[in-house]
Amino acid sequence: MRRFFARNAPAYVFLLPWLIGFFLLALGPILASLYLSFTRYDMVSAPRWIGWGNYEYMFTRDRRFWKALEVTFSYVALAVPARLIMALGVAMLLDKGLRTIGVYRAIFYLPSLLGASIAIAILWRQLFAADGVVNQVLAMVGIQGASWITDPDTSLYTLVVLAMWQFGSPMLIFLAGLRGIPRDLYEAAEIDGTPRWRQFTRITLPLLAPVIFFNLVLQTIESFKTFSSAFIISNGTGAPADSLLFYTVYLFNEAFKFFRMGYASALAWFLLVIIAAFTAIAFFTSKYWVHYENERD
Amino acid sequence: MTKLTRRALLGTIGAAAAASALPAMSAFAADRSIRHYWWGNPERDKRTFAVIDAFQKKNAGIKVSGETIGWGDYWTKMATQTAGRNMADLVQMDYRFLFEYVNRGALKPLDEFAGKNLMIADFDKGPLDGGRVDGKLYALNIGSNSQVMVHNTRAFQEAGIDADLINWTWDDFAKVCEKITSKSGGKMKGSDDLSLMIETFESWVRQNGREFYSPDGKVAATAADVSSWWQMWADLRKAGVVRDKNKTVILDPPIAESGIAVGDTAMSHYWSNQLVGIQAVSKDKIGAAMVPHKAGGKPGQFIKPSMFLSLSRDAKDTEAAIAYMNAWVNDPEITGILGLERGIPCSPKIRAALAPKLTEVEKLSVDYFTAIQSKVGPLPLPAPKGAGEVRDAFMRIGTDVVLGKVEVAKAAGTFIEDAQAIIERAQ
Repeated sequence: MRRFFARNAPAYVFLLPWLIGFFLLALGPILASLYLSFTRYDMVSAPRWIGWGNYEYMFTRDRRFWKALEVTFSYVALAVPARLIMALGVAMLLDKGLRTIGVYRAIFYLPSLLGASIAIAILWRQLFAADGVVNQVLAMVGIQGASWITDPDTSLYTLVVLAMWQFGSPMLIFLAGLRGIPRDLYEAAEIDGTPRWRQFTRITLPLLAPVIFFNLVLQTIESFKTFSSAFIISNGTGAPADSLLFYTVYLFNEAFKFFRMGYASALAWFLLVIIAAFTAIAFFTSKYWVHYENERD
Repeated sequence: MTKLTRRALLGTIGAAAAASALPAMSAFAADRSIRHYWWGNPERDKRTFAVIDAFQKKNAGIKVSGETIGWGDYWTKMATQTAGRNMADLVQMDYRFLFEYVNRGALKPLDEFAGKNLMIADFDKGPLDGGRVDGKLYALNIGSNSQVMVHNTRAFQEAGIDADLINWTWDDFAKVCEKITSKSGGKMKGSDDLSLMIETFESWVRQNGREFYSPDGKVAATAADVSSWWQMWADLRKAGVVRDKNKTVILDPPIAESGIAVGDTAMSHYWSNQLVGIQAVSKDKIGAAMVPHKAGGKPGQFIKPSMFLSLSRDAKDTEAAIAYMNAWVNDPEITGILGLERGIPCSPKIRAALAPKLTEVEKLSVDYFTAIQSKVGPLPLPAPKGAGEVRDAFMRIGTDVVLGKVEVAKAAGTFIEDAQAIIERAQ
């Protein structure tokens, strides 16, 4: 016991600000939202207990709920791999021991700082509009571009491209991971005449697996929670024709536009279940594909 | 790779999961001070703060603090403040939300003040009664408006349009669209595509002899109403005389991006108190036409209170609040500052006082208002709860129609079903 404290006390001290914030500010609302998810609550009259009513409606009668799931899952399935591949690619380019690497790292990180902002979402809407920059460039090479944002068939891809562009934080983590791979492995491979691609699949990928795993889980969670860009680009409603009805956008609308706080709470809790499930799947399957160099147990 | 152990990794990830939020609330109160909350735009805010200054100068003991926000966020904030029992003393109210707030007990009736410190005896009865719920006055009309087809007078002149823009029909409208498009060589289309504009569609339903909502709050519009509406616009799109479909599906664009402001089209649909704002962003002089009529149909358009001032349940100093309210509709200096920006005032005295000072576009809206008096139908009952969501569904399903992805008849059926389900669920 004493050893436990001696070892972990500093960690808990550092965690303290977060813990205090969690217990003081977050825990109450979280529990309240769990309660509200079993009620009908319009913010003005008192919440009325309706048992599993919200959940039942969600699964059996709410077509928009399923549409929101479809949109969100499609987005996660496209955006997470796209962003990770982009991040890994850039990280490998930067992992060349350049002297000015700090500058490049900062430059490549920039989109991630900007990407979540309202301004970029608005910019995106302009870029991909029917008469936007993208189509003007396409027109120069003789291609008649679609109306990307306002066409339900293409609108989601504009957001995937936006997500891809915000590769900064997974890139930094990949970069750290790449740095950790012992150089002598590559040297040995060079001597054996192993081609570059094989070096990548046989050395880089397996040794990077824990980092890939880490990024995968974090980015999946992030992507499920995507809100502001979808909200801005779809004008807050999931338009055109619900093709940008992200789960969080739907949740926001139910809560703050139609004042169904109870139902929105139920939606929020189900989102938590989805994210937890995906995280759990990643955990439990990780032992089959993640290699930890210092595995002890 | 030695630093990242399995345990450290799992711990980090575990921390990155859930999030939830409830609105934070606060409550402040001070005596002899009132709060006034309204939805606005830069022009309206400027005028309203000037009103507050003028009122404070005349009533030294009372401090008024103004809170303003755009229409989109207004009702969110209002609901939050209502839930937190922290409403502003005076809130700007809209016709479609009035029943909802009265039914929740969020507003106080004004009848006991009338004739004592709220002087409204000589006001137009129709517009004033728009603020009554179950016989009690819960909302004071601070301006009336009606639908209007705003049009570009230069384009109309150049195309030699001589239609009677008060009594015209949808057939005339189609011909006008055709003329303007061909005159400009297709550069300027006749009109914005109003497929997704439920406000105009409501007039269409009334022209067919029905209300959109029945008196008991059910959807009374039929699938035939919807499909005939969408079909008419589909035909106009096919003829190439209305705005590009990719612009049409951009929902609720700001005034500055409407076809008439950009110069893409010669007509757009708006509310008459917005004429001032539209003229400000349009190059050409604008004119005001009625929503076209159905040949042999009923009147579709109506005059409605554009905005109200209501006394909230949380108001502490009601005497000060009513004094402020009274100044809004009776004080010559204050009504002079307000002008017609919120709509046409329902006090004949104030209207007469404003008349000589009107700008050209203000005069346009007054003349328009006079011209339509005998052409409009009765004010429909306030929409039931859920009407806002029905509006969203109309735009959502209509988008597929405009883009040609769903058949008109099928989409019309879907919309009516959805609308009924939404209204049922909202009760």
